Amino acid sequence: MSKLYDLKVLIENKIKAEGLDAMTIKGKIGLRSGRTLALISPTTPDDPDAVAKLRLAAKEVLNIDA
Amino acid sequence: MKWNLIRTKVLAALGGCLVVGVAAIVTLMSYSFARNSRALAAESVAGAEKLFTILEAREISKMAAVSEALIMDTQVRDAFAAKDRNRLLELTAPLYLKLKSEGITNWMFHAPEPDMAVFLRLHNPVKFGDHLNRYMDKEVALTHAMVTGNELAKAGFAVRILRPVYDAQGTLAGYVEFGEEIGQFIHTMKSQTGDDYGLLLSKKFVDRQFWADSSAVWKRRDNWDDNPDYVLADKTTASDKIIEFHGPLSSVPERGVVLERFQEGDSAFVRGIFPIHDAAGNTVGAMFVVRDISALYREMRSTRNFLVLVTVGALALGMLLVLVLLNRLVFRRLEHIIEVATRVVGGDYQTEIRVDSDDEVGQFEQLFEQFRRVFVDLMEHVPELQEKV
Repeated sequence: MSKLYDLKVLIENKIKAEGLDAMTIKGKIGLRSGRTLALISPTTPDDPDAVAKLRLAAKEVLNIDA
Repeated sequence: MKWNLIRTKVLAALGGCLVVGVAAIVTLMSYSFARNSRALAAESVAGAEKLFTILEAREISKMAAVSEALIMDTQVRDAFAAKDRNRLLELTAPLYLKLKSEGITNWMFHAPEPDMAVFLRLHNPVKFGDHLNRYMDKEVALTHAMVTGNELAKAGFAVRILRPVYDAQGTLAGYVEFGEEIGQFIHTMKSQTGDDYGLLLSKKFVDRQFWADSSAVWKRRDNWDDNPDYVLADKTTASDKIIEFHGPLSSVPERGVVLERFQEGDSAFVRGIFPIHDAAGNTVGAMFVVRDISALYREMRSTRNFLVLVTVGALALGMLLVLVLLNRLVFRRLEHIIEVATRVVGGDYQTEIRVDSDDEVGQFEQLFEQFRRVFVDLMEHVPELQEKV
């Protein structure tokens, strides 16, 4: 599995755990990182730049240290 | 407060308009008050100068009439021609008391030229035989006709008439003089106009010792050192500090001049000054004019405060209205687009953008809704596309 997908799972788990509005939160992270989370699958190839952007967006929106 | 927001920028611009509006009102009101007060001061100076001239002419006319009646009195004429001082005093003293109550303060008989010494002073009978050597004395000796005008003498600054008296044979017996203190005029002027006045005398024409002596006699403060160029001879106001002029009185223009406004607490006064000449044409004094414009000043301040309040209120209401309109027509709809766009990216393909209007934002909403549908369609076909790849 790719790092991008791991991050996506981490984000979804956090949203579920905190009972947040999944669509809005995912949308915010997607807009900040420039990636649509729905299009990240276990086979999505890792791109260091994309991983860094998603990690930063997750930190800003959900305060996740991944 | 975020300065990059349109809402903040609009608010700042409207706030700026409010400040400019209030400043403009305060400036306009101050300018208008300055203009009005200057016009009032000019009116006061011109009016006072006119009134002074009228009073001067009226008193000259009165003294001329009195002197005319006097020289027709053969007893007086004979006593004067006979140089009988006691008889002359006996005949004229009762009349002097009456004239004094009418404002005539000086009454003198002079010997004919070349001596021209004072023969009798009704206002000070024990003093006689002195020579005055004034412009009017020389003028009457030269013309042998009635001479009128203001003359600053040791006895004070007075409007005077001086005319020859002839005996039964037509020989010049001497001269008779009547005078009225100009200081009295200012009280008459105040009672007629309500303005305050101050009579200034140029120090060049006043004897220092005489001023000190007369101050002691009249039990008034010796104000000689108050100003380097003039002394304040009389005034109708209790305050000395309101009467203030810098420079020699000879520098006062012929038509008078409006001076700077005087303000103290809630009171405001406009001031002006015009010159007073003696019979020889010298600027021996000046009349200081003070007009109380406190009521106008308070009215202006109250109007200004009212206008400022109305402006602030109107602009604040305008600001509120503009912000409510902007919020309803632009900001709320933009926030809705942002919210929908965010949710679409997050995977919500159901929420649509409501298009309620065809204004500029409505057109954008419509465009964005079309874009959203294309995006949703694309996302729904992603698995299909991935399979093809």
